[in-house]
This record gives sequence, structure tokens and C-alpha cells, in this order.
Amino acid sequence: MSSTEQGTSSAAPAEPTTAPESAAAPEVPESFYYVHGKDKVVHKVSAGALQHSALIHGMISNLGYTEEQAKANPFPFENIDGDILQMVVDWCNQHKGKPTPPEDTNLPKQKEKLFDLVLAVNYLEIKELLTYCCKQVAMMVKGKSPEEIREIWMIPTDAEDEAAEKEAKKRAGKEAAGETAAAAGDAK
Amino acid sequence: MSSIIEMPELVLERIIGFSNFKDVLTLRQVCRDFRNFIDDLKDSKLPYSKFKQIEIVSKKDENKIVFAFVDFDGTCFRIEYSESANSRKYQRKTTVFENSNIVDVAIRDLQLVLKFQKSQLERLYFDVDDFQLLPGLLLHNFPVKLSNMFKMLNRRIKTETFTTETYNQSQIMRLLPFVDPDARRKLILLAKDDDMKLEIDEIVKTEQWKKSQEIHCDFHVLNVNVEDIFHFSRITLTMNTIPARDLDILRKVFILSSKFEHAFFELTHFHENEEISNLWGTPFNTGSSSNWYFRIKDLEEEVLHIEFRGQFINFHLIDLRHVLTGAIIQDYNEN
Repeated sequence: MSSTEQGTSSAAPAEPTTAPESAAAPEVPESFYYVHGKDKVVHKVSAGALQHSALIHGMISNLGYTEEQAKANPFPFENIDGDILQMVVDWCNQHKGKPTPPEDTNLPKQKEKLFDLVLAVNYLEIKELLTYCCKQVAMMVKGKSPEEIREIWMIPTDAEDEAAEKEAKKRAGKEAAGETAAAAGDAK
Repeated sequence: MSSIIEMPELVLERIIGFSNFKDVLTLRQVCRDFRNFIDDLKDSKLPYSKFKQIEIVSKKDENKIVFAFVDFDGTCFRIEYSESANSRKYQRKTTVFENSNIVDVAIRDLQLVLKFQKSQLERLYFDVDDFQLLPGLLLHNFPVKLSNMFKMLNRRIKTETFTTETYNQSQIMRLLPFVDPDARRKLILLAKDDDMKLEIDEIVKTEQWKKSQEIHCDFHVLNVNVEDIFHFSRITLTMNTIPARDLDILRKVFILSSKFEHAFFELTHFHENEEISNLWGTPFNTGSSSNWYFRIKDLEEEVLHIEFRGQFINFHLIDLRHVLTGAIIQDYNEN
């Protein structure tokens, strides 16, 4: 959460997110849609902000929902954690109708969150945000040794990996031994 | 939490696209998933290494292969492969290979680095046949393996200068075809011993020869046809001799050419002074040299100066002001 708060405060034009939209086109009322993640917490997001996501944009442009229908049918993203979806929604709101800057420094610094965010952003097809995230991951690698990278990302060495695989196979073999030959074939 | 390994391929491709080539080489070493992914990636998806210079050298006295990669900012990355220790040394890290042939390790590494080298080098330098008389050593096979690797690479290396220093003329044809003829401007062939002979029949037929602008060769070049060197703007050659007739053909080409800069010949002998005087008239002698001056087509300020000094014959353009006092400048005449 701290990262998103930081984000809003340090974003250059510190205006409320709806301000530019209403100033530009005051007569057209903005439409809103609703999304929720794994935690079922529903976020109300403007169509303008959602434009960043090619996936959602494609979905809503064919629906033609009224406000009530939209409210009654939030888009479920069961594969995205609640806090990650919150980050995505915040980013979309902050960058609504604005040209995106070449760098975004408000991305999560924790690697776990960053990878989850990458997956969510890739799924939702938010092109610019994906670019920032990929740059951020590339920055994490910069100048490090293979050992350091393995440690940061908790990647086992090939030897460890092979040992674990062998172990898993052995276990699978044992389990399969008790079952039918056909089941053993499936387990592989 | 998600792991980097679970990232979709397109995302990994983007990440690699934002990394520099050294980081990609590091990622390759992290685990086999990365290694396989990177090795399967098309060259066009990889970042450029943008080296300025690559040197590939074998050293008999140390029983080593040495690669040096130089950046445009001057940083040099040196990798040494020692046959005696069966090890690779890069910066402060030494890796010992228990079961691998060290020459194969070196070739593989080079192949990997070359995957990233898509921009033009200023210089590509080979000195790889130090072990040609030592068939018992692994490094003896290095030149052949190197040549095979280039064949496999299936992409010619762009370099402004191609230099090879060798004992063995076959070495030149083993490597020369793998440089991009369109990128090359300068061809340097250096002999590792004095008085080494070079038959250039085969070399002059290559695109690499025909498209170069400069030739520098310190082998004794045999069977040169003057037609084969017309296109160079700078020539440095060592030869047995040049017939007077050929020298006159060169003179005619040079006074017509807008690209010519200089031609420098070192000859073992030259006995046709009389023929030359018949063709070019009496030279202006200084005691140590004989000199002729010829006007050049469409040039007012510069003239062609031909100088015979001992066993050297030098053609070059000079400013009109530097013509020796008292010498005659012969008018431009196409015949």
C-alpha cells in the first residue's frame, strides 16, 4: 500500500483523478465499471482509466452496460490477488488520459509483488505498465552475479533442481506402485 | 508469490530486451531454464554487445587462448583459456573444467558472445596458428574449430578492419570468408616470420578482397596481377619485383582515380630502371632517391609523386608546393 500512496503524492500534477476528464469534456458523464480480484473487494473504475487494459477495454466496448448493469456485474479476476489488483487500479487511475512518462519509479520494490504484478499486468494487457515492470526486473539483474540472482529470486541451482526432480520422481514412482499401471502412466 | 521462472515467454523476452548483453550472459548461468530460453531466442531479440574490437589470439609460450573484447569506452574484457590448467580465467574468476576440452569451451564462449555482436567492429584480429607445429596439443585444432564455428554461425561478422597474423597462408582463407565484405574497408595480412610467401590467386577472387579499400600485406606476395590491386585506395605490399610496364599501368590508373591515396611497394629486386626512364623520362635525382611528378586528372593542387628509394617504390599524392625544386611536373595525359 505504501508504494501506491507514495505514487499519488509524487505524481507531478497532484490533482484529483477525475479532474482532467471533467475539465476536458464536462457534458459527457463518465461511465464506471467494477472489478474485483481474488479477495472479492470490488473497485469502481472509470472507463477512461480502464482503457489502459486492452483486455478490459475489449470486454467493455462490446457490452454497452448501463450504470446499474455494470454495478451488478463486476468483472471477476480470480487469478489476481486483491492487493495486486489495487496497485493496477491505482496505476490506471493515475495515468488516466495522460501520456505515460518514460520511467515509472512507483513500482513495488519487493520482488514477490513485482512478479505478481507482472503476471497480472501481462494478463490484463496493460502495455505501458508491463514495459515499466519488465524494465524494473531487468534493473534487478543489472551487474549481479549468477549466484546473487539465484539468491534474490530463490532459484535453485541446476544440481539442486535435478536432485529435487529425482526426489519427486521417486515419490511419484512410490505412489504409482500402489495404483494401476494406467494411473502410473498418467502420473508421468 | 510468483517466481521469475513462471513468467510467460513474451514477458521474459521483454525483460531480456531491457537488459544489456552481459546481464543476459549472467542470466544464462543462473539456471538451465534461462539458459535454454536464451539459447532458443532469435538473435534479433537479444541486446547488442556493441564491441569496438575483438582479438582472438593463441599463445604458445603460455599454452593459452586469449580473447579480448574491447568496448567503445575503452573497457577491455579479457578471457584466457589455459590448456595446461584446463581452466578459464575471466576477471578474478578461474573456472576449472574437469571433463571438457578447453578448446571447445573457448569456441562455445566465443560463439555465444558473437550472437550479440551485430553492430560493426572497428577491428577483428586473429593470431591463432601458434600451435600449428604442435599436433600433440589440444590447441593445435583451434584454428580449424574456429573456422567451423564461424561456418555454423551462419552470419558474417561486420568489421572495418580484418587483421590476421599467421605462419600459414591457408589460415587466411580459413577466416577471411566469414567477414562481411560490405562492411570491410581494410585488409591486413601479417606474416609471423620474415620472407614468408603468399600465393594470392585465391584471395583476390574473394568478395572481401574486391570490396576492400585498403590492403596491407607484409608477406612476399607472389603472382600479383596489377588489375587485382587497382581498386584499392591504399596499398602496402611486399613483392619480388614489378615489371616497369605494370608500374606504368598503375601510374595511369592512379592519375585517373579519384580515390587513390598511396601505394607502397617493397621489392626484393628491380632491374628495369632503363625501361622506366624510357616510359617516364629522366628522373629528378636527389642522391638517395629518383623522383617523378605527374599531374592528376581534374586536380590543380595535388600531383602524383613516384619515388624510387633503394628497394622501395612509393606512389603518393602530394601538395604541389612540396614538389622538389627543379623537378619537372609532367602534364596530365591519358596515354
